[in-house]
Amino acid sequence: MGVVLLGGFLVGLGTRIGSGCTSGHGVCGLPRKSLRSLSATAIFMAFGIITVFIMRLV
Amino acid sequence: MKSLIAIVGGVLFSIGLVISGMINPNKVIGFLDIFGNWDYALAFVMGGAVIVNLILFPFILKKKPLCDETHHLPSNKQVDKKLIIGSALFGIGWGLVGICPGPGIVNLVTFDTKALAFVGAMIVGMFAYRFLESK
Repeated sequence: MGVVLLGGFLVGLGTRIGSGCTSGHGVCGLPRKSLRSLSATAIFMAFGIITVFIMRLV
Repeated sequence: MKSLIAIVGGVLFSIGLVISGMINPNKVIGFLDIFGNWDYALAFVMGGAVIVNLILFPFILKKKPLCDETHHLPSNKQVDKKLIIGSALFGIGWGLVGICPGPGIVNLVTFDTKALAFVGAMIVGMFAYRFLESK
């Protein structure tokens, strides 16, 4: 449950600071060929992958 | 009219999220687990959505919107520190739980404790941003 709360908090905070989520940057920003959305998508994919990798170890 | 179109859009979007498996945290974590037991299926969901919009957006953006005078598109073009930090935090949260905002809201209908806790924490995170911004 602690992980769910921490993850939810980071998703809410990160979406506001980064001005978008998977839908906003990924599904809408990429087709608009936005460099900001391409960067955001690459960054959140990378951090998601790293997080899952670390969580598999612990 | 505006609300009706919003409802139709929301229903269509949520059906897509449910059918594709985006609302299933294990599926999403499997998609992010490229160094482990990688389940690449969700790449086709985002890929499919991007291809559809790549084709349709030019036509849609040329026309006047149904419910407004103009389209409202982001004007900021700078890849700034805020974008990078925000996306990184979002990615960590997404990797921890396997749920992003859209699927989180769709999952509310299950009244599952974890689904409610996730959206509650997400709203707290959004208010935390407002607090940080005002400082």
